[in-house]
Amino acid sequence: MSRIEDDLDDKGDDRRGGKGRGGGGGGMNRRKVCRFCAETTTLIDYKNPQLLRSFVTDRGKMVPRRISGSCAKHQRAISTAVRRARMLALLPITVGGE
Amino acid sequence: MARLQSLRDAPGTSREYETVYILRPNTANDGVAEINTKVKGIIEGMGGKILKVDNWGKRRLAYEVAKERKGIYLYWRYLATAGVVEETERNLRMLDLVIRFMTVRLDESVNPEARPTEIDDASYERAATTAADEEDLFLSRGDAAPAGDDDDEYENPVAEAPIGQEN
Repeated sequence: MSRIEDDLDDKGDDRRGGKGRGGGGGGMNRRKVCRFCAETTTLIDYKNPQLLRSFVTDRGKMVPRRISGSCAKHQRAISTAVRRARMLALLPITVGGE
Repeated sequence: MARLQSLRDAPGTSREYETVYILRPNTANDGVAEINTKVKGIIEGMGGKILKVDNWGKRRLAYEVAKERKGIYLYWRYLATAGVVEETERNLRMLDLVIRFMTVRLDESVNPEARPTEIDDASYERAATTAADEEDLFLSRGDAAPAGDDDDEYENPVAEAPIGQEN
C-alpha cells in the first residue's frame, strides 16, 4: 500500500513541476528552449554524469522532452548518453523504493 | 592471418575509439599497470595509436557490478583499425579484475598522422596510480586494513570465513 502511495507521490511531483514551468497559471507562457541549442559549448557526453543527472528523475528515469524542453536532436543525444552512462555504472538504471 | 579491411574505411585511415573499463576496487597499482601494459601491447601490436590514457580513480558505482560497490575507472582513447577492438575486448573479458568495459567509436576515416598524441612515458605511470578515496584513508587510520600488495590476494579474507553455523 505504502509502495503505491510513494509512486503516486512521485508522479504528482513531476506533474507539478511541469505545470510550474509550462506556465499553466496563465500569463507565464514562456516557450521552453533546448539547453544545448542555447549554449552550444555544452557538449552532451556520457562521461559527464553530473550534467546528465539533470535529465533523469530522482528515480533514475529519463525526463521527457515535454518537461525538459530539449529539442528532438538533443533529446536523442541525451538518451544515448544516459544509456552509455548507465552501462558504466555512472548513472543508476533505476532507484528502487525500499 | 590478415584480416579483411572493411570497405567502409578509406585505405590508410583509421577509426578513433575510446574504451573505459572498470577494475575491482582492491586492485593494487601493480595489477592496474599489468592490465594497462596488456591493453597497450594489443593496441600498438595491431598497429593502433594511443592518444590518451587516464585513470579516473576509485569511484562509487551507481549500482552493484560483480558484487562490488566501487570500481577503478580507466579511460583510453586511441586510433585503430577494425579488429583491434574485438581483440582488446576479448582480452578484457578474460581478466577477472575487469568487471565492466565499454568501447565507443568517436570518429572514422581519421588520418593517423593528423591526431596529436598526449602520451609520454609518465602517462602510463600516472594511469596505474589510483588515488586513494576517503574510505581508504579512513580504513588505514582505523583497524589496519590488509594491504593488497599481491594482486593474487585481492579477495576479501573475511568472505572466506564459514557462515551459517549459528545453531
